[in-house]
Amino acid sequence: MDIAFVIVNAVTVAAIYGLIAIAVSITWSSLGLINLAYGFIFSFAGYAAWLMAGRMPTNPYLIAGTGIIAGGIAGIIVCLLVFIPLHDKPAFTSRGMIATLAISLIGSQLFLMIFGPTSKSLPDLFGRWKVKLFDITLTADKIGIVVCSIAMLIGVVLWMRSSRRGLEIRAMMMNPHAASIVGIGIRRTGLYVMGLTGAMAGLASVLLSQTYYIAPFSGLTPLIKGVSIALCGGLGSVQGAVIAAILLGLVEALTNKFLGGQYVLMTQFLFIILVLVVRPRGISGLVDIAREQ
Amino acid sequence: MTDQAPPNPCVWKNPLAVWGTATGNAEAPSIRVPDPRDAWRKNTAFKVATYPVGRLKYFVIWPHHGRRTWNRTRWWPTRRNLLNIGGLYNRKTAIPEKRILDRRPIYWLLSLCLLLIGPLLFPQAHMNALLTAGATFGIFAAINVCWTLIIGTASIFSLATYAVVGTAAFVTSLLSIRAGIPWYALPPIGAFIGLGFGILIAAPALRLDGFYYALLTLGLNELFRVFFTTSKQFGSASGGLYGADSFINQNWPPLTQSMVAYYASLCLLIGSLFLFRFINGKRLGRVLRMAPEKHEAFAAAVGVDYKRARITIFLLTSVALGFIGGFYAAQYRGVAYSIFDFQTVLLGLAMITIGGIGRAEGAVLGTLVVIFLRDVLLELGPWRYLIIGAAMLGVVLFLNNGYFGIRRQFNAWRAKKRGEWRSGRTEKGGEALPEEATEINDKDALYFRRFDKMQRDYLKELIRPEIIEEHRRQPLGQHSEALERVLLYFRRAKMEDKYALHRAGPAGPYKIIAFSGVRGVSPRLVDDREFSTLDEAYHAVFMRRVHDLLET
Amino acid sequence: MTEVLKIEGLSAGYGPLRVIHDLDLVIHPGERVGIVGLNGHGKTTLFYAIAGLTGWQRGSIVLNGKQIGRTRSQGPGRYTHQIVRQGLAIMPQGDEIFQGLTVEEHLDSGAFTPEAWRTRKERKERVLGIFAPLRKLMKTPVGRLSGGERRMVSIGRGLMTDAKLYLADEPTLGLAPKIGIAVMEALLAIDLKDSAMFIAEQNVALLEGKVDRIIGMHAGKLKGEASSSFRLSGSH
Repeated sequence: MDIAFVIVNAVTVAAIYGLIAIAVSITWSSLGLINLAYGFIFSFAGYAAWLMAGRMPTNPYLIAGTGIIAGGIAGIIVCLLVFIPLHDKPAFTSRGMIATLAISLIGSQLFLMIFGPTSKSLPDLFGRWKVKLFDITLTADKIGIVVCSIAMLIGVVLWMRSSRRGLEIRAMMMNPHAASIVGIGIRRTGLYVMGLTGAMAGLASVLLSQTYYIAPFSGLTPLIKGVSIALCGGLGSVQGAVIAAILLGLVEALTNKFLGGQYVLMTQFLFIILVLVVRPRGISGLVDIAREQ
Repeated sequence: MTDQAPPNPCVWKNPLAVWGTATGNAEAPSIRVPDPRDAWRKNTAFKVATYPVGRLKYFVIWPHHGRRTWNRTRWWPTRRNLLNIGGLYNRKTAIPEKRILDRRPIYWLLSLCLLLIGPLLFPQAHMNALLTAGATFGIFAAINVCWTLIIGTASIFSLATYAVVGTAAFVTSLLSIRAGIPWYALPPIGAFIGLGFGILIAAPALRLDGFYYALLTLGLNELFRVFFTTSKQFGSASGGLYGADSFINQNWPPLTQSMVAYYASLCLLIGSLFLFRFINGKRLGRVLRMAPEKHEAFAAAVGVDYKRARITIFLLTSVALGFIGGFYAAQYRGVAYSIFDFQTVLLGLAMITIGGIGRAEGAVLGTLVVIFLRDVLLELGPWRYLIIGAAMLGVVLFLNNGYFGIRRQFNAWRAKKRGEWRSGRTEKGGEALPEEATEINDKDALYFRRFDKMQRDYLKELIRPEIIEEHRRQPLGQHSEALERVLLYFRRAKMEDKYALHRAGPAGPYKIIAFSGVRGVSPRLVDDREFSTLDEAYHAVFMRRVHDLLET
Repeated sequence: MTEVLKIEGLSAGYGPLRVIHDLDLVIHPGERVGIVGLNGHGKTTLFYAIAGLTGWQRGSIVLNGKQIGRTRSQGPGRYTHQIVRQGLAIMPQGDEIFQGLTVEEHLDSGAFTPEAWRTRKERKERVLGIFAPLRKLMKTPVGRLSGGERRMVSIGRGLMTDAKLYLADEPTLGLAPKIGIAVMEALLAIDLKDSAMFIAEQNVALLEGKVDRIIGMHAGKLKGEASSSFRLSGSH
């Protein structure tokens, strides 16, 4: 059925962009850094997965795993270049943001030079089977994407709640000064956070390339969408990002159905502006303890 | 005072004891006094480590002020002087001098003159390429100067600048192509469009904090890009709109066309610099300098309406950006989609970052560097963007505020280091450090401090338990040389904070007070302890002074 | 037996203002040392200098035989987490707490060595044995506790590892007298086997008789009771 198909699409898209939104939120609230280098991380992970797919095209776990690990490595590279030199310097927030944008610029040019402008594609990771559920045909990749994203999200949340590193990250979100007193090093935790969020972006890249292609500039749209979702949900709160992802996915779906594809961005942004005018800190900005600048 | 045995014990014999003493103080154990001239010689011997002296700020100095300080050339019709010149007397030679306190207008004039005569200096082989690059530089520098107004003066971190320019350019191109509007009407129409855009995105600017707003405008940029690239009437088939009316006649020779474009862009740049000066240098900029980041609540409480100032600047610059958009369409006969690209925003950000955010000269320098790398060094191919990105990353990592912030960054670092060196070297009441010494006008005070320090160091060696015991036994009267030297020093101290005794009644208990040193201000009570006899009280005052001496 | 803490000629300050002048101090294992003095005379600066939370300009600090900290001011707090891992537990003035975490998570965060993390259950039991009122509050976010309870959490957090030196900066500051006495008693009742405790306190009465040494701090210099291994600076 039409609406259901559209909703399924919306949920799929929301899942992918939600991953990036949560990554941006976690980075901001624990490190105070707005990481706009996800374009670079995205393409890095995508190209790594493509290279692996060239060697072993039949092993989906290996390809996905390569993408995730490559994303983590790219995140750590960004941390080493941006966070560690700048985190105690003046005007850290704006300089950090500009530095990540610079990495985005350098990275996309590098990929353009190394891999050329033609887009690459990944083989289907989830196979081609279909499932029929209440008259809706769900293709394998859609189910796979949603399941993978939710699994990663749950995994990350559980890890943050139960492990020592997760505790450190959460402690740093709240009081970086006190964190050093209990032996939490800011730079080491920064590496963990950026590695983790890079891995999330890497997974998002691999999942997204089921539908779209991998190109040097392919990371920009997901970056902007992810950042908008994080903004709408409140920079710093994970549940806000999830709620915002679902709502924006719905908005996209409804616009697609009733107004046509080219108005999707417009309605989404109108929605975001509305939310931000009503609640300047995003949906969960008042509920959660979001980090002050 | 140490616990070791006194180095030079001796027994002092009271010279007046021959005539008998009232208190029985015929002799007392004391110490031999070392020669005070040794201390002087040691101190004034030229082996004192000399540290580098502090500030060195260089001013251009002209001789002879005086008559000409009042009747100076001014910018008619204002009373504003040509240059900020200060007249003063040289401290050392007492000759009147003039100093240029602010040399920046000279630098601006020189740079703009260089740009104006630029085409005469370009090598003939690359004339066309350089002129085109120059025209691009002029327009982008104008955009970046306006952007610096928004980001620096108004502290609104907006990334939608190029979207405003692009929208104005596109709409005016469309109007020119469809409705045949002539070129001189395009910039004003663009200004209107810019105003509309500005009103649209001004409302969230007040509600959202800095980086939230930046991300929102980033999204808006993307939104406009998608809108324009997918709409047929805005030329989605051809990658942009072409065919608008222009002030550059197609029939002129190509060199003339390039020259006109170059000078027109330069005029635009000069216009935007005037705008920057009139906004940043006058009331609006001043209002906003009173409300720096994180202290806005205080400014609002004091009555500074910074929100209105910010919105005013935002709208004025949006008008200017729209004007530039219309100009762009008029000069290039149309506009391509690349102006909405994320890449353009990144390049623009690189331009203002490399120069320094918040300063017009930063925007111009950054634009020069980036346009030079991108449009002049074309042989480098895809390496150009890599170099630009690397330059941007390098500047942001190492410099606090771009190229023009280097001086302030260096001064802050030097002040921090100086404070650390100073705190490692200062002693309480010691000799003045070289960097303080240059700031004190009366050099006699410095010599006094040094002498005082020498004296105190010498006297500290003399303080021994024997001396204290001698004083306790007889506070007034003949004393040994060591005690006498110490007492004379104490008696010579200045009145401020000098200890004295206060007597409650004719034979009443004594308390220690301290003078304030200021006429009309009564002394303060130092200690609650009461002494029944005067001798006890004298000794207590002596002990306090000894204690203070040892602490310095 | 090596001293737990040995400070020689320490000079610390903020910019051109020198707060601590040529300070010498030695603390032996098993010792409880109290330091008293008015506000603004350098007690907190001394603690922060030991923990590396503020830069110091001259001298040396040796914790457990290892030199800690550097004289170049690298930015306060940069190496604190490494210094803390050498065996230092600092309970700073006015609690530094993580508002959103529960009491249990707070105590967990104090166990920063791998060995402490593995045995954190037993350690938590031990802390609860010292501060009984916390047992009911294990799942409450710390931001909602009263002052005394927060202080207990902050001190308990410091006890979660086997630190060699405990620095307690004004443990009774801002607390009601009865609660302050209870907190101080709990602190003084902790069994120090090889470790040492260094308490800064304005209320001398709470320390008298219960600590091994009391030192006074005035205008950045130490005065007062000297033990044989304790050298005063200057010519006093």
